[in-house]
Amino acid sequence: MTKRLAMVLGLIVLVGALVAASAQAGHKTHKVTNVVVAGWSSGGDEDNLLQQVINVFNQTHSSVHATLQIINTNYSQAMTARFAAHNPPDVFYVDSSVIGQWQKQGVIQSLNGFINKSHYNTKKFYPKLLGAFKHGKTVYGFPKDWSPLATEVNNSMFAKAGLHAAPKTWAQLKSDAKALQQHGVAHPICLSADWARMGAFLYQNRGSLTKHLTSQANVRAVNFYVGLLKSGLAAQPSTLGVGWCGEALGKAKSAIIFEGNWVLPYMKSTFPNVHYGVTPMVKGKAQGNLAFTVSYSMAKDSQNKQAAWTLLSWLTSKKGQTIWMSKGLSLPSRSDVKAIGGRAPFLKAAPFARGWGFGNPNFNNAYTVMGNDLTAVISGSKTTQQMLSDVAKALKGQ
Amino acid sequence: MMASTSATEAVPSRPGFRSTMLGARLREAGWGYGFVLAPIGVFGLFFIYPFIYAIYISFYHWGILGKQGSAHGTFNYSNVLHDPIFHTALRNIAEYTFAVVPLELALGLSLALLINQKIRGRNFFRSSFYFPSIASSVAITTIALYIFNAQGLFNQIIGSNRAWFADASTVGWSIVGLNTWTTSGTVMIFYLAALQSIPDDVYEAAAVDATSAWRTFWRITFPLLKPAHFFCIVVFGIGALKLFDQAFIVANGASGAPNYATMVPIIYIYNEAFGNSDFGVAAAAGVIYFVIIFALTIVMRLTVGRQEPA
Repeated sequence: MTKRLAMVLGLIVLVGALVAASAQAGHKTHKVTNVVVAGWSSGGDEDNLLQQVINVFNQTHSSVHATLQIINTNYSQAMTARFAAHNPPDVFYVDSSVIGQWQKQGVIQSLNGFINKSHYNTKKFYPKLLGAFKHGKTVYGFPKDWSPLATEVNNSMFAKAGLHAAPKTWAQLKSDAKALQQHGVAHPICLSADWARMGAFLYQNRGSLTKHLTSQANVRAVNFYVGLLKSGLAAQPSTLGVGWCGEALGKAKSAIIFEGNWVLPYMKSTFPNVHYGVTPMVKGKAQGNLAFTVSYSMAKDSQNKQAAWTLLSWLTSKKGQTIWMSKGLSLPSRSDVKAIGGRAPFLKAAPFARGWGFGNPNFNNAYTVMGNDLTAVISGSKTTQQMLSDVAKALKGQ
Repeated sequence: MMASTSATEAVPSRPGFRSTMLGARLREAGWGYGFVLAPIGVFGLFFIYPFIYAIYISFYHWGILGKQGSAHGTFNYSNVLHDPIFHTALRNIAEYTFAVVPLELALGLSLALLINQKIRGRNFFRSSFYFPSIASSVAITTIALYIFNAQGLFNQIIGSNRAWFADASTVGWSIVGLNTWTTSGTVMIFYLAALQSIPDDVYEAAAVDATSAWRTFWRITFPLLKPAHFFCIVVFGIGALKLFDQAFIVANGASGAPNYATMVPIIYIYNEAFGNSDFGVAAAAGVIYFVIIFALTIVMRLTVGRQEPA
């Protein structure tokens, strides 16, 4: 009896030990670090695609599990609150226009240490795009995708005016607009009172947004842009009764617009029957364009930096970005990833397009000044020189 | 009177009664303080504490993660007071408030006078006039942007091509018009309550004297509504000074566009805090604006709200 009891007890102890050992072993082999990646919503299609990319990451990485958080509205404000609470997501989107400010505020982790440690090759990123997220030699994020501006024209409006190709130069832009006007198009070009469009014209005139802002090259470029509006060859979206220039193109309110690759999914879903063409941005004395780009960056307050780096570096790797580009919703920031979905004309601007924001910590305030002063110049209550002088001061934080 | 005195005098003659009364009063006071404590606690946590904290941070360079450097002083106040954009914001809000409050009061009072009459369908009109006040201002502003755009319904009717909310010369008045319409329903409710508290006999006396309706309104109704005037001017005046949502939606953000025409103090504060991450400047602007609103309220209390001697 005692012998049998001892055997049973021994068996129980043995089974218990085996279970505990296997649980311990399992625990060791499946130790998973959770990281949160946050971004804003860019519509259902893009949100779903991003979730698919994250799912692939989770399937191929057993030690790191990423959770996607979409912040639907007021992204910058929501992130500011989370930074202040020292509870930011580990990896998140950063627009190139705010990277300078957030870097100065000390909320973004420098990636140099991780790059050096893991020998991560950054040379495949287009240098101007990567430069938008660098301060000196310090990298604060990798561009996840990007878009420059391009020239989009309404084909049927062009055909009616006897025009067969989109304008390539400032001179052609003016002459095409005049031809369209003669064929009944009141305002052939749609232009926003926005430096995020006009800035490209400054570079096309060999001007700059970062130095010598009050130069004659900049003055002439502004006068050309504002002149198109004042002459009636161009009109703002508000005058055309539309929300933005893409809508003006779709509704045939204007025949020529300058927008980024975001116009493609919009036209496909909203105006599927409108035939339009996409060509590289018009050029003046030189080719000039702006690069609107967003990075994946890491929070300085992240509790899981190594896991965050694993995620961030994979998302911006050739493999991660190829999956991200698979549905043709955006433009690759890496030269070793191909653009699909009719985005080739945009890619031609990669070598010279300047990252919007320019890493300037005062850019938000300067952009407020830019927008307000440009409307003042258009209405005639301010001169071009005054505006450029105001913007130069604002960029310096004065 | 005598009976009352006797009863009062009788109190000490009953041993223990005073202490029982004292205990009851203490218990009552305890309950009272207990009930008051919760809202005071909420008020302190969400209003007093942030206010004092805002004053504190207004003396520092304060970023997203808190204090930046050890420098402290009144530099944020100096920056705000010397910022031409803040001056524009103050000028815009002054013009807006001086335009919108009289219009809200005039329209609200007119509607109140109308529905105070014994007319058929009075309840329907009351509900209809009040409806814009309870509708979401974001929804109303968005619809207004659509109706008043360059090729919107309004321009189709009047044969114009002006983008009312995108033109610096008209956007301010467009917001005034929009808010006059949306707020007048609430003003109407306050005036209606005040109108119904005016005793009938003063109107009967006027009728006996064969006073005209116009004269009755200006000599009897309007002066007797003085407490309502004061209340509405203070409440809706402060409301107007806190303009934010319409200006934010119209400008599609806190930029104050076009040409700073929608730049008002709350937008300025918001932009400094959440746009420029400069919470010290934002706090200083908030404190300055609080002082301005507080001073205006005192002035209104001493002028419009002054009690007539009996």
